[in-house]
Amino acid sequence: MHILIRVRVTIAFLVWLVFAGAPRDLAIAHEGHQMECKKTSMQAIKADIQAMNDGEAKRVAVKEMKMAEEMMDKNDMNACKTHLHNAMDAIDK
Amino acid sequence: MSHTTRRWFIAALLAGTPMVLMGVAALVVYAGIYDIAADEPHSQPVFWVMQMVRDRSIAAHATEAVPVDLSEPKRIASGAVQYEEMCSTCHLAPGMKRTEISWGLYPRAPELRRGSQLTPAEQFWVVKHGIKMTGMPSWGVTHDDELLWDIVAFLRKIPELTADEYQALVRSASKTHEEMMQEMEMRGGHDHGDHGQQ
Repeated sequence: MHILIRVRVTIAFLVWLVFAGAPRDLAIAHEGHQMECKKTSMQAIKADIQAMNDGEAKRVAVKEMKMAEEMMDKNDMNACKTHLHNAMDAIDK
Repeated sequence: MSHTTRRWFIAALLAGTPMVLMGVAALVVYAGIYDIAADEPHSQPVFWVMQMVRDRSIAAHATEAVPVDLSEPKRIASGAVQYEEMCSTCHLAPGMKRTEISWGLYPRAPELRRGSQLTPAEQFWVVKHGIKMTGMPSWGVTHDDELLWDIVAFLRKIPELTADEYQALVRSASKTHEEMMQEMEMRGGHDHGDHGQQ
């Protein structure tokens, strides 16, 4: 009897873990996915920059994007990501 | 080169150049050279031309006078409810994170909480008629002018709103979007085109 209860409690806990944890993990993965240094993300940020009004924020975003592209060409993905973040920050201003 | 030959050369050049250009353009179109993928931004000259065409077209067509009081709180709250229902997925809202569709749309749907350079009449025209090849639908097909002016009233207000104020405004409206649509149909406005369906 005790074993049956333990098994049920364990199954319930595992089910809870799956349902409670999965959506949050997916959301985090999705946010991260947008920041990756890959062609589609870079193009998306370029489209954002294109839609910006002229000004200091756009100038910074363009500069950071250029640097991100340079870093990607050099295969320095960490530096690329940093510049991509900077470009996104400038877009959000 | 004699004088006559030179004249013929210039005439042939003037007549032939447009034909050659049209031929090249037709070839480019037929060969599918231009990339229309939404994840590949236009070159800057193409983007500039399209932007100019859009801006000039809106300015030329939006000649309607503003027939309502856009500062009326009830109208702004009604506009907020409709904005939340119909617009926020693409144009976002105060406190809202980028949506998947806002990342994927090209050209980008402007984030209207950042304000707009359009006049109220121009905003009304865009909301009513939409914009070709941008993903902006013509809401005038399903909504009457009264409801569309409510949206414009809200658009004038949105740059001033914090996330909490926006949510409070949406909640403060006396009717839901569905109720507004039903009321519109009762006063003889547009319908959703679903009459006569089984």
